[in-house]
Amino acid sequence: MLKKSWIIFMRDFKVNLRDFLALYLLLIPLIFALGINLLAPSINDTTINLGMIAGENSDQAAYFSQYAKVEVFSNQEDLDARIMRRDDFFGIVAEGGEYYVLKQGNENEGVVDYAKVLLTFYEQDVQLEETNAEIFDLGRTVPPMKKLLVNGGILFISVLGGMMITFNIVEEKVDRTIRAILLTPISRRGFIVGKSMMGVFLTLYGTIAMILITGFGNVNLLQLLTVVLLASIISILVGFIQGVRNDDVINAAANLKLLFLPLVGAIAGAELLSDKWQILLYWIPFYWAYKGNDAVLTQTATWPQIGLYAGIILAISVAVYFLLAPEIKEGLE
Amino acid sequence: MIKVSNLYHSYSKDEHYAVKDVSFEVKEGEIFGFLGPSGAGKSTTQNIMTGLLQLQKGTVTVAGYDVKTISNKMFNQIGMSFEESNVYSKLSAKENLEFYRKLFDVETREPMELLRMVGLHDKADIRAGEFSKGMKHRLTFARSMINNPTLWFLDEPTTGLDPAIASEIKGIIREQNKKGVTIFLTTHNMYIADELCDRVAFIVDGEILLIDSPRNLKLQYGDKLVEVEYIKDGEIVKESFSTIQKDDLAKLQEVIGTYEIQTMHTKEATLEEIFIKVTGRELV
Repeated sequence: MLKKSWIIFMRDFKVNLRDFLALYLLLIPLIFALGINLLAPSINDTTINLGMIAGENSDQAAYFSQYAKVEVFSNQEDLDARIMRRDDFFGIVAEGGEYYVLKQGNENEGVVDYAKVLLTFYEQDVQLEETNAEIFDLGRTVPPMKKLLVNGGILFISVLGGMMITFNIVEEKVDRTIRAILLTPISRRGFIVGKSMMGVFLTLYGTIAMILITGFGNVNLLQLLTVVLLASIISILVGFIQGVRNDDVINAAANLKLLFLPLVGAIAGAELLSDKWQILLYWIPFYWAYKGNDAVLTQTATWPQIGLYAGIILAISVAVYFLLAPEIKEGLE
Repeated sequence: MIKVSNLYHSYSKDEHYAVKDVSFEVKEGEIFGFLGPSGAGKSTTQNIMTGLLQLQKGTVTVAGYDVKTISNKMFNQIGMSFEESNVYSKLSAKENLEFYRKLFDVETREPMELLRMVGLHDKADIRAGEFSKGMKHRLTFARSMINNPTLWFLDEPTTGLDPAIASEIKGIIREQNKKGVTIFLTTHNMYIADELCDRVAFIVDGEILLIDSPRNLKLQYGDKLVEVEYIKDGEIVKESFSTIQKDDLAKLQEVIGTYEIQTMHTKEATLEEIFIKVTGRELV
C-alpha cells in the first residue's frame, strides 16, 4: 500500500511544483524563517558589533574581541559604509591619540552605552577576571519573542500542510480523477494516505527549515517532530474536509483560514491568560503543541512531558477523526 | 465474466429504486451493450459493478470477484473509459498514463503505444489541460487500456468525437474484442451498439425490458420488406415488396429482370426504432 501511496504523493509533489499557489505555500516556511531572522534579534547574536581601521591598534582590537564582534576595515570610507547599514554597528575611530565612538545616529541607547563602556574599560585596562559580580539566571536562554515567532511559525506551517492537501483534493475534483483512481488497485486508505503525505512533507520540511534558519538547530528534533506531526493531524483532517466540501481552490483556502483562529487563540491565550484561565484552551490541540514546542525550543522538555502533550493532542485528533471521517470517506467516493 | 442477479439500488435508501430487479450475464469475449435513455439506471448498474457504488441488494460477480467483498486485485483486470473525460490537466498526456500504469500490479502497456493508437502521440508532452474535449476523451479512452484489461467498461466511447476518430475508436474496440477482451458498452447511441454489440439489453426506469442480439431484434421487430427504386419509361419508380408473400416475390423478380435498378435495400428496423417500439420511450 505504501508504495502506491508514495506514487500518489510524488504526483502531487510534481503538480505542486508547477502550480504557483502551491509553490508559494512550499516557499512560505523559508520566507517566514528569514523574516523572523530579520525582525527578531538572533539567539546567537547577543553582543554588539564594532569596526576599526586596520593597523591602528591591534591590542585594542584584541581586547574588544573578548566582548564584541570586531570587524577590521582597510580605510575610513569602508568603515563609514558599514556603519550606515541598517543594523547597530559602531566604529572605534582614532583622533589625536584618543578614540571616539562613531555611530549612525539611530542606534538603541543601551547599545551605544555598551560601546562607550567597552571603550572606557579598555582605557582603564579593566579585565573580566577582576569582577566580583555573581550571576544567576532564570533559565531563559533564547529571546522570548523569537521563540514565540518560531513556535507559532511551526504551527502555522502545519496548517499550510492542511491547505496543500485541500488544493490537491480540489484539483482531483475539478479534473474528476478520483473515480479513475478508485478503479485502480490502490485502496481507498492508500489513496488517503498518499494524499496526506504532501501535508506531512510540508510540515516536516517546513519545521526543519524553520529551526535551522532561525538558529534553533540544536534542539531535540525528535521531540519537536513528535509534537508537530501529531498537531498536523488536525490540519490534515480539516484539509481533507475542505477539499471534499469545495470545488474551488480560493473558496477552500478561505474556509481553511478558519483554522488560524484556534491557532492564534491558543498562542495568545497561552502567553497572555493567567493560569486559572488556561483551562479554556485545553480543547485546542494547538495549545498543547505550542506548550510542547515551547519546552523543546527552550531545551527544557522531558520525554514524559512531551509524551503527555502528544497523548492529549492525539486523543483530541482521534475524536475529530471519528467526527469527520464519514464525510471525508463519502466525499471521496 | 459478469453475472448480475436481482440487483436493486436506491440512492435514498428507501423503496424508490434507481435499479429494480436487474439480472443479466455477460459471457467471456462478448460485447454487451447496455442501452437506455438518460436516468434509466445504466450508470448506477455500471458503478455497482465497478465498485464505485456500494452493492445494496442482489448479487454481482465481476471477473470472478464478488463485488460485495470487493478485492483491489479485481481492478488489475478491468478497465473503464468514462463518458466525461477525467485526466490530470496539469500533467502531460504521457505523464497521465505513466502515473496510472504505476498503480497497477500487472504488466502494463507502453504509454506511447496507446497514445499512438488514439492519435495523440505527437501531443504526448503537452499538458492535458491544453487539450480539446475530444482529445481529452481519447486520452481517457487510452488510459482505460493501460493495464491490458480482460473486462473493459466503455461509457459512451465515441461521444463528442468526429466521425473519423469515432471510426478509429470503434476499430480499436473490435480489435481488443478479437483479442478476447470482454466489453460492457454503456450507450444511448444505437448505431454504435448495432455496429459493435453481440447482444444488447434495453433498460428503462431501472428495469431491463429485453436482452437479445441486434440481429434477432431486427428479425423479430423489423418489417419484412424490400424497397426498390428502378427506372421505368425514363422515370424513377419506388416500390416496396414483401419478402414473405409469393406474389410480391414474383413481382420483385420481374422488376429486377426487366428494369434498371437504382437502389434496393431490405427495410430493416433500426435498433432505435425497436427500442421505441419495445419501451415506448425515446432514447434521449
